[in-house]
Amino acid sequence: MADTAEGMRVQVSKLLKGIERYNPENLQTLEKYVNIQAEENTYDLEANLAVLKLYQFNPSNFSLPICCTILLKALTNLPHSDFTLCKCLIHHDNMADKSIEKILYLSQLLETCEFKQVWPELEDVQDLISSITGFEDSIRKFVCHAVNITFQTIPKRELSELLGSLSDADLAKWIKKYNWSEQADGYISIGSQDDVIKTKNITEKITFESVATIMGLNQR
Amino acid sequence: MATGWREEEFVESGLHHYDAYTYPTYPNLDYEVNEMGRPEPEYRPVHSVPAPVQNFLLYFQKVIKEQDVLKIQSAYIDGFSEFTERFYQSTPWPDVRDLSNIVDNEIFDILYKELYFRHIYAKVTPGPTLEQRIESYYNYCDLFNLMLGADEPVSLELPNQWLWDIIDEFIYQFQSFSQYRCKAKSKTADETEKLLQNQKVWNVHSVLNVLHSLVDKSNINQQLEVMSKPEICADLDVVAGEFGRHTLYKMLGYFSLIGLLRLHSLLGDYYQALKVLENIDFNSKPQGTFIKVPSCQITTFYYMAFAYMMMRRYQDAIRTLSNILLYIQRTKQIFQNRQMLYDNITKQSEQMSTLLAVCLTLHPMRIDESVHSQLKEKYGEKMLKMQNGDQSEYESCFAFACPKFLSPVIPVNYEDMNLNYHKEPYQQQLSVFIDEIRQQQMLPTIRSYLKLYTTLPLSKLANFMKIEDHELKMQLMCFKHKMKNLVWVKGTNSLEGEFQTASEIDFYIHEGMIHIADTKVDRRYGNFFIRQIHKFDEVIVFITKLFSD
Repeated sequence: MADTAEGMRVQVSKLLKGIERYNPENLQTLEKYVNIQAEENTYDLEANLAVLKLYQFNPSNFSLPICCTILLKALTNLPHSDFTLCKCLIHHDNMADKSIEKILYLSQLLETCEFKQVWPELEDVQDLISSITGFEDSIRKFVCHAVNITFQTIPKRELSELLGSLSDADLAKWIKKYNWSEQADGYISIGSQDDVIKTKNITEKITFESVATIMGLNQR
Repeated sequence: MATGWREEEFVESGLHHYDAYTYPTYPNLDYEVNEMGRPEPEYRPVHSVPAPVQNFLLYFQKVIKEQDVLKIQSAYIDGFSEFTERFYQSTPWPDVRDLSNIVDNEIFDILYKELYFRHIYAKVTPGPTLEQRIESYYNYCDLFNLMLGADEPVSLELPNQWLWDIIDEFIYQFQSFSQYRCKAKSKTADETEKLLQNQKVWNVHSVLNVLHSLVDKSNINQQLEVMSKPEICADLDVVAGEFGRHTLYKMLGYFSLIGLLRLHSLLGDYYQALKVLENIDFNSKPQGTFIKVPSCQITTFYYMAFAYMMMRRYQDAIRTLSNILLYIQRTKQIFQNRQMLYDNITKQSEQMSTLLAVCLTLHPMRIDESVHSQLKEKYGEKMLKMQNGDQSEYESCFAFACPKFLSPVIPVNYEDMNLNYHKEPYQQQLSVFIDEIRQQQMLPTIRSYLKLYTTLPLSKLANFMKIEDHELKMQLMCFKHKMKNLVWVKGTNSLEGEFQTASEIDFYIHEGMIHIADTKVDRRYGNFFIRQIHKFDEVIVFITKLFSD
């Protein structure tokens, strides 16, 4: 039990409280937890940042593989800006490492939504991501997020390309997952954006609280 | 072993009790061997102290002894600066050893030294010597040991402003020392030797330990939680505990949270920076009493906004900045006769306006009218340059407005230290920020085109921008992704939120066509009237008071 992510989460959260977060003795447990997250496809940003923090305070403890895993896990949590938070804690000497440089480039492709270039790039870093369970699918999740907020309809072939040239069966799974639907004309219907995205007229809203304070004044 | 302050250590360590703060005892420390203890300050001959200063200090000590907070406040704020002006404009106040005929108790001795060193840092050129920095550090150790090491709460009350200034200055001196330590140039062999001997001094762990201990001792987090959640029916006094009930501890606890916000930001740890505020409710009345110290309020919002900006939560950054700038706009004249504070507030508000200019360039949205017009007037040119993709303008804005980033690592070798060693932490944060700017560099151009249309074919826009259709689609997805920020909605936790788009321009793609939604805004009157009503009420209260006296 103690060696599953679920089991460790409670144990680890105690190590992150107060001054204990800076105790280098906890590093081993926390590093193990990072690996378990990668294995079991779970995620705990707070614990991972604590690891980077301990590296920041004790540079001699720095572990390159763990750092790579943390960065890759941060990418799986896009569109959240976790990757940036991690970057802010990693000393630039360590940033210059080849593996990290590759991950940085991958992050840049993802952040700028150049999804078609992402897939060949992943081939290149296969040795890094092979230990991260469900990495590709996490990336697909982010691609779907970007598609979901941008398109009302998208050509099926294009969607497939963005998702890394999926087979029709796999593509159908993603389409189903996001409640999209296939049209007869070769387009995928993403959903009606025109309901959500329309010219807004911002009219004034006054909150109850702000009026309540004025009413209170008269009461005196 | 849970956290922080360990009382048994304090009792056992006897002579070395100040060391209790320098490190929680993690055994694998390299420099545990160095048990030098405090260096004896150099002996200096006695100087004569002017009679008016002697009288003032006697009075100052008396009001502190009598615990008359109002009189302490005025002696602290007006008295001290008046005598500084008259006698010690650019020279140090008298050394405490020259005041043996005046100072007759430990508390005043420590508090006086705190002021004495703070004045050296602020007014005396060329600033504090290494010895003074070290002495000042140990004086803080004495002060915090006095408060945290006691079996029962120290019966001392100080004005909130002073308590905030203590925490603020404590972190400032840590910041200053870290920078000093990392500057390769201008160090004599003697200084290097002293630095190596005093590794524990101004160590990041000691500073963290002090702040966490103050937070724990005061139960401030538990207190804040009870205050912000009326549904928890708990007696605040019980929750606060023996120490937290005292104003001194409660306020120091609260200010330490803000101190941690600042410290974490200086180290680039923005997640933790916002995390420490998780129990503070900036909209809650009962908690509002804490924020009567304007400089604390401003510091809080500045660091919050900066953290938000780095996390690409522009909407939250903009909300935070425009709130505090509005607050400064309205209250600034109150501080006009307190020069130091006034100058600080002016500087900080310039930094925050710069941040706001950056955030609004990246994420244009509507903000308070008066803040916006002031911003346009002063920063319009900068904003235009940034809009046009001028990266150096972003850099100079960042350099001006960012906190003084630090490295927590103590150099082990002062001889071959890189000349730019002290700039590395800044460079690191700058490069993260610039990476983000580069990723967004096409967005302003796209935005400026979209503004002109309600529908626009993809191919036409691609043509305008001289890029391929598929490249444009990537850019458009990037636009949507970057403009959809996590936004705080409710609750005390500043880290939580939901994804929202509030940018002025929004769009979607449908069969090769971009459909664009603009934002039109009605004029707002409500807030203006609410503000005026409050103002009038203040006047009425003032007048009524005048007549009833």
